[in-house]
Amino acid sequence: MRFADTLPESDLPKGVKDFLPLKAAKAEYLQQCLQRVYAAWGFRPVVTPQLEYLDVLERGLGEGLRERTFRFDDRQSGRLLAFPPDITPQIARIAATRMSGLPMPLRLSYSGRVLRHTEQQAGKDRDIFQSGVELIGLDGPEADAEMIAMAVEALAAVGAQEFTVDIGQVEFFRGVMSRSTLDQALADRVADAILRKDSSELLNMLANADLDDAAKEEILALPKLYGGREVLDRAAGVVRNDRSRRALDNLDQVLNVLDVYGVLDHVTLDLGELRGLNYHTGITFQGFMAGVGRTVCSGGRYNNLTAKYGSAAPATGFTFSLLQLLFALDKTLDTVVEPFCDLLIFSTGVNLKLAQELARTLRQRGYSVARDIIDRSRADALDYARQMNYRFMAVVAGRDQEVELISVRSESSEKLSWEQMKQIDLTAKSIL
Amino acid sequence: MSDWITFALPKGRIMQDSMELFGRIGITCDEMKEESRKLVFENSEQKFRFMAVRATDVPTYVEYGCADLGVVGKDTLLEQGKNLYEPLDLKFGYCRLVVAEPKSLQESDNPLNWSNIRVATKYPNVTERYFAAKGIQVELIKLYGSIELAPLVGLSERIVDLVSTGGTLKANNLVEVETIAEVTSRLIVNRASLKTKHHRISTIIEGLEKVIGDEVKISQ
Repeated sequence: MRFADTLPESDLPKGVKDFLPLKAAKAEYLQQCLQRVYAAWGFRPVVTPQLEYLDVLERGLGEGLRERTFRFDDRQSGRLLAFPPDITPQIARIAATRMSGLPMPLRLSYSGRVLRHTEQQAGKDRDIFQSGVELIGLDGPEADAEMIAMAVEALAAVGAQEFTVDIGQVEFFRGVMSRSTLDQALADRVADAILRKDSSELLNMLANADLDDAAKEEILALPKLYGGREVLDRAAGVVRNDRSRRALDNLDQVLNVLDVYGVLDHVTLDLGELRGLNYHTGITFQGFMAGVGRTVCSGGRYNNLTAKYGSAAPATGFTFSLLQLLFALDKTLDTVVEPFCDLLIFSTGVNLKLAQELARTLRQRGYSVARDIIDRSRADALDYARQMNYRFMAVVAGRDQEVELISVRSESSEKLSWEQMKQIDLTAKSIL
Repeated sequence: MSDWITFALPKGRIMQDSMELFGRIGITCDEMKEESRKLVFENSEQKFRFMAVRATDVPTYVEYGCADLGVVGKDTLLEQGKNLYEPLDLKFGYCRLVVAEPKSLQESDNPLNWSNIRVATKYPNVTERYFAAKGIQVELIKLYGSIELAPLVGLSERIVDLVSTGGTLKANNLVEVETIAEVTSRLIVNRASLKTKHHRISTIIEGLEKVIGDEVKISQ
């Protein structure tokens, strides 16, 4: 058999997914949990477009995302268009242009989908669901702490059990490197080794480098400067330069605020964390869940971004990857997200009015109710209700006859009068 | 089960060397000493779990978080370029990743004149990067084993492969021309595990760091 023969005609490109009702309900639930947290902290949603001019969008994209942008011609304008690979630059553009007349700070939230090219590899998504916030116009440690505390609260809200928000400060690394005289190529390799916490390779690289011992000691300490709050003391013992020390002070102040918010238990530090080095200007952080290899959220300060759209403002924010969350929480969500509809109304007689009337009444009372419009047997309807996750089925015959209410799972049933049925409490019946 | 620590170890000699090293900081697994075809071994008292997997699969298990820690050769890490921490050089499993060619070719060959050469290897990514950095175009032929055969039967002129003692090369009339990298086994750590289980894992890393010798050794 050739593989080509087995490809279905309606397949999808790699890296995109269809979500069937059970999964889609979970994704929506996660999104709502996150948005409730954003709203509780005073963040207001904005909606960004799915298309932008490439040259406008590119101004706000970091190195890594630029080459991952989907782009093509615009027939209308003759310019290059792009699908945004990230929503943050769009918010920066909006804040720096259309909202620049408003008083600062701006607290904005978003949920949306972005597209990114990825390497051809299984499991790498090209269609990415983002949900996040941006806090624009504030530079103090309290603003950074607000982001981290919100990320912790959001993780708790979606039901994550064991998780950590891991904080870095790129200025610490920049301070260490500003003292050294390494050429760019070696400096890049040094950063890469630090990223992988590869102390032995770092040692080899620096063995012959033209650096004084103190500078080497600072660099060699970086892969090990991770852990709890005690990291700050260890780091202070190693670094002498002012820039790194200011970064440590900044971290200390952020941790003090996080202490007040009561989230320190969920916080770890990592001064060797250099992801987003070219983009971020201070505190960075990433959310990790036990047993999930990839980060579920990431964020940090980016004070140079809005200036690229004409109005400089300090800013910080974070974004959740909804798909990573969904993957991480899939099992937990089974218990919270009910994939059920409440009621299927099956009508035996020719007069359908009654069934429609009952459906209307119960929908108005807040239940999810569908009519089994197809002409089929009671048994077939019940089988349908079971497969499609209805909790109850009501068999309606005539106004003078009782309604039969069947629990789909147990198949136990009871007869109810017309009035009883209209007043029925289907939540209490869930035990049936 | 999340207070357990799971290791992914490559089946065979490296697994023995790893367990011997772990034994020195009190991490043991009696279950592993018995003859068995099991793939997962446990020490439920210490809450350690050990998975025996193929060496090239170790980084995958660790990257996805199925294992918190793993032991794998630097050659595999270079080839796969995964998003992992590799905090310790365990100093065993020493070998070198080299470019080799038939002795007869070497006598007339000058690496400076190489252009558009054909190379057979298990490591296409490393090989491509290595030659690209030198400005040499290569035609890569990916093989899964017995790489030394390729030049003998004219599949390629050269190979990129691991050598430890050099015995296999010699037996097939091949000679090393260049060393691409020196390879030892590394301890690798899942990023989320290092953060969410950081006390247990840092204790292991710090403990191992103290007992790793200075001498690199060949594992065979």
